[in-house]
Amino acid sequence: MEWFIFKAADEHLGIEVGNIYRVVEDPAITPVPLMPSCHMGLTYYRGEIFDVIDIVRLLKEKRATPAGRARAILLKWSGKNLALVPDGVSGLLWVGEGKDTGTVYSEGEYVVRLVTPEQIWDQLSGLSYGHPEIPEDLHPGIEKIP
Amino acid sequence: MGRTSLKNKLILSFLALLLIVLVVVGIVNRVTDDFYMAQAVSAALALAAGIIFGSLFSKSLVHRLSSLSNVAREISRGDLSRDIPLLSRDEVRDLEEIFSVMVKELRRVILEMQAVSGQIQNTSRRLFSLARKVLDNSREIDRTARRIAEGSENQTLIVQKTALSLDSGLNEMDEMVRQSAETAEKANEARLRTEKGEAKAREILRHLDGVLEQMVAYTRPVFQLATKVEKIKLVINVIDDIAQKTDLLSLNASIEATRAGAMGKGFALVADEIRSMAENSKRSSQDIRNMIEDILDDNTAVTTALKRSQKGIDRGRKTIDSLVNTFSETVAGVKEISHAIEDVEKETGRQVRHLRGLLSHFQELSRLANENFVSTQKTTIATRNQEQDMVKIVSAMKSLSALSKRMMETQRRFKLDTGES
Repeated sequence: MEWFIFKAADEHLGIEVGNIYRVVEDPAITPVPLMPSCHMGLTYYRGEIFDVIDIVRLLKEKRATPAGRARAILLKWSGKNLALVPDGVSGLLWVGEGKDTGTVYSEGEYVVRLVTPEQIWDQLSGLSYGHPEIPEDLHPGIEKIP
Repeated sequence: MGRTSLKNKLILSFLALLLIVLVVVGIVNRVTDDFYMAQAVSAALALAAGIIFGSLFSKSLVHRLSSLSNVAREISRGDLSRDIPLLSRDEVRDLEEIFSVMVKELRRVILEMQAVSGQIQNTSRRLFSLARKVLDNSREIDRTARRIAEGSENQTLIVQKTALSLDSGLNEMDEMVRQSAETAEKANEARLRTEKGEAKAREILRHLDGVLEQMVAYTRPVFQLATKVEKIKLVINVIDDIAQKTDLLSLNASIEATRAGAMGKGFALVADEIRSMAENSKRSSQDIRNMIEDILDDNTAVTTALKRSQKGIDRGRKTIDSLVNTFSETVAGVKEISHAIEDVEKETGRQVRHLRGLLSHFQELSRLANENFVSTQKTTIATRNQEQDMVKIVSAMKSLSALSKRMMETQRRFKLDTGES
């Protein structure tokens, strides 16, 4: 079973590849007021709208400014769309059968925590509303639409 | 009235007495016949007549002589006021007249002596006053002469000191003239050297311009290298972007292949390879980028150093240019200084000649001041001698005044109140 590995908040997270729709670079994000601080906005990709989530902020509340161009991982599962912006994308990793979500898999240099999109969605659902103001420290490459 | 001499008087008296005796004898002889008687009476009568006539004659003579002796006594007592009575008509009359003339002469002489002594006293008083004044004046002259002598001495000292100072100043001015000549010579030498320095600086400036042009020519490729490296960097960015996109593409391809299941395994392998190649491209482009960065850093360091060198050379060029200008100004200044020093030398020489003349005048002045000093010393001695003489004169005047007083006192003893004075 193959897992998509990405880095967020000083740890590697793995999501089952079947939930990954696409990895895009520097998506155009439209900020949405009164959303939680980890909610960067909405992006449009090939006829569908994705909520763009800063996974680092979701996990740590704070993040350092990422270097280089940001990549967004577009997830599609059970009719839900979500885009995650991690610190970096590591690639695909084959993990043997029997490793379920929530477990921590270690192989070589990788220590990966396997998660499901639903867990991320649930964590998002528990958040309160964010600030009415659009944060100034938007991700580089994400332009604020006046 | 005619004068009768005493001899004639005596002869006439004797004849008269003889006549009387003869008359008496004749009378007696007539009266008496007694011879003896007559002789006795005649003798007695003759004797009586002789006594009468003798006493009358002697009385007349003694009376006049006594009168003369009284007058002489009065004169001896200083009374010249009495006149000599001229009683006689004989030789005594001559004595009386001579005595009277003598008294008159004596009176006149005394009067003249009184007048002369009064004049002497007045003159001595005036002389005394004048001598006092002369004494005071001679003392004042003595004091003045002493002051003049002191002033002359001081003047001599000052003039000698001034002459010494002038001589010393002249020696220093001679030295200054000599140094001015040396300075003018050195200034001339400095001018020549400065002109040489200016020529050398101009030559250095030309060389520096050549070096600068060469450096610009040498640095041009270095700057072009930086431009080219920048272009390479842009190409690397493009490569990097392609690698990035290739990586993303291969990643999405892997995802798609995985989702395709068994059908996509071959495609997944290809996608992995592509992704591996993209990773290699990224690493290589990163390596190239690092190398380019190093090259750019080195190039930047080189260009910075070259720019700094160029600026340094520019500054050096400006400095040398300024140095050349300074040399030119220095040459002009040194020329002016040289002319000024020559003028100073000429002027100082002229002043030295004038001051030499002044020094000879000062020496003459010193000699004259010394002579003045000696003369004033002599004047002082002379005025002292004069003062001493004047003291003696004053003393003599005092003595003369005392003598004239005594003379006046002596003359006062004579009584001259006859109405003639």
